[in-house]
Amino acid sequence: MPADRHAPSRPSIGLLIRFYVRLQLLQLRTAIEYNTDFWIGIVGSALMHVSGLVFISALFSQIPEVEGWTVWEIALLYALALIPKGVTELLCDGPWALRALVNSGEFDRLLVRPLPPSLQTATRIASLHGLGQLGLGIVVFSMASSRVELDWTIWKALFLAMILTSSAIMIGAINFLVNMIAFWEPSAQSAIPTLFSTMIDFAKFPLDIYNVLIRGLITVVIPYAFITYFPALVLLDKDSSMKWLGYCSPLATAIVVAVTSFLWRIGINRYQGVGH
Amino acid sequence: MSQVAAAGKGRHPAQRYIAIARIALQQTLAYRGTAVFTVLILFLWIGILFSFWGSAYEGRERIAGYSLDEMRTYILLAYAINALVGWRVGSGMMARIRTGEIVIDMIRPLNYRTTQLAIAVGNGIVEGFISFGIAIGLGLLFFDIEPPESSLVSMVFIISVLLGFVTKVLVIFLISLLTFWTLQGVGLMWAQQSVIAILSGTLVPLALLPGWLRVITEILPLRGIVATPVSIYLGGTSGLAMLGFLGLQVGWLALLWWFTDKAWIRAFRAVEIQGG
Repeated sequence: MPADRHAPSRPSIGLLIRFYVRLQLLQLRTAIEYNTDFWIGIVGSALMHVSGLVFISALFSQIPEVEGWTVWEIALLYALALIPKGVTELLCDGPWALRALVNSGEFDRLLVRPLPPSLQTATRIASLHGLGQLGLGIVVFSMASSRVELDWTIWKALFLAMILTSSAIMIGAINFLVNMIAFWEPSAQSAIPTLFSTMIDFAKFPLDIYNVLIRGLITVVIPYAFITYFPALVLLDKDSSMKWLGYCSPLATAIVVAVTSFLWRIGINRYQGVGH
Repeated sequence: MSQVAAAGKGRHPAQRYIAIARIALQQTLAYRGTAVFTVLILFLWIGILFSFWGSAYEGRERIAGYSLDEMRTYILLAYAINALVGWRVGSGMMARIRTGEIVIDMIRPLNYRTTQLAIAVGNGIVEGFISFGIAIGLGLLFFDIEPPESSLVSMVFIISVLLGFVTKVLVIFLISLLTFWTLQGVGLMWAQQSVIAILSGTLVPLALLPGWLRVITEILPLRGIVATPVSIYLGGTSGLAMLGFLGLQVGWLALLWWFTDKAWIRAFRAVEIQGG
C-alpha cells in the first residue's frame, strides 16, 4: 500500500486544463442564454473601441504621418491590442469578480474546494462582449495588413501567433494583478483596477509620440508596450533600435506571470474572510 | 434611494428637487476617492491626445485652423465639460431598472426625469470641481491656458456649458430608459459614452471629422454638449453667431425636455406590462 495514499495530491496540469475548459465553457454557455445582452454587449463593446479609430482617422485626414507612422500602421498596432484583449475578456475575465468575492466573504468557498483558487477565480466570469472587441480587432488588422507594406513569411505568421498568445496571457495576468488590490484595500468599490487596466489605451499608439514618463510607465511599470509597439516594429520591419524588444514579449509575459503568482500567494494569505 | 425619501419635506415642488440634488452631492462627496479616480480614467486620454497632437504639430503652425495651444485648450475644456456628466448618471438608473427597485421610484409623486436631473446636478457639482480643477492645473502646467477674450464671452461660455450639461443628462436619460425594454445596461453605456465623445466634439474638433459624420453632428443636438461651448470660449465668434448657437441649444433642449417627459411615462407603462 503506498504510504502517501491519503496525502492530498496536487492535480496534474492536464487535469487542471480540463477543469478550466469545462468551467469556462459552462460560463460562456450561461452568458449565451441572454440573447439581448449578447448583442447589445457585442455592439456596445465594438462601438466603445471605435472612438480611438475615429480619432486616428480624423488626425490623419490633416497630416500624412506622425513620427514616421502612417495611419494604417497605427491601425495595425491598435488591432494588436484589441485582439488579445477581446480573447482575454472571453477566457479570463474572472478576476474582475474578485473584489466582490473578497468583500462578501464568498472567497472562503473557493479556498476549501479541491481546485486552485486562482483557477476558480479565472473562470468566475465569461464576458461574451469580448467578441465585439475581438471581431473589431480582426477586421481592423486584416484591413490594415493589406494596406501597409507587410511581407508575410512563415516566420512572421508564427511570430504573430506567438505574440497574440503571449499578449492574451499577459493581459490575463494583469487582470489578476490589478484586481488583487482587493486583498490589501478591501473597499466595496474601487476605480483603481480600472485605471491601471485602462492604461492599455496608451499602448494603442506608437511609443514615439510619448515623453519619457509615459514610455517608462507602459514599458516597465505595466508593460503593455510588449503587446503592441515592440511586436509591431518587428511585423512592419521598422528601422528601430528597439526592435529586438519585440522578440522579448514572451519573456515580459513570463515576468508578469511570475510577479503575479508571487503576489497572489501573499494576497490569499492576507485574506481573512468576513467572519462567517 | 434615500435621496427621494428626504425630498418629501419640501413644500414648493422645486424644493424637493433641490433636496435631492443636495443629497446626491453629499453621496458623491462621501465617495470622493472614487470620483477622483473616475475623472482620472477619463483624463488618461488627455495624455494620449496631448502627446499625439504634440508630435503632429512638429513643423506645422496650424492644423485645421487651430494652433497647438488652441488645440490643447480645446482638449482640456472638452474633457472637463464632458466629465460633468459622469458614468454614474445612467448606470444608477439602469441598475435600478434591472433589479426592479425602480418600482419605488414609480410610486413617488415626483417627475422621474426631473429627479434624475437633480441627482445629476448633485454629482456634477462635485465631479465638475474635480475635472475643471485638474484641467486648469494641467493647462497651467503644460502651457499658459488663456482665459476667454472678454467677460461677455466668459458669461456666454458658462451659459452654454450649463445648457450642454442639461442636454447631456437628458440624452443619457433617454438612452437609459431603453433598459426598460432591453434589461441590459452596460453595453448601452459603452456605446453611449463612445458615441457622445465622437459626435459632441470631445475627442476631436468636429471640423476634423469626415464629411458624412459632420453632417450627422450638424443635425444632432450632441454638439451642444461640448463643441458649442468650447468654440465660444476659443473666441472669434461674432455676437450674432453666439446668439444663434445659444438659440440652437435652447431649441434642442426644449424639444428634449418635452420628449423625455413623454418617454418616461411611456417606459413606466412598459414595466407594468412586463411585471404583471
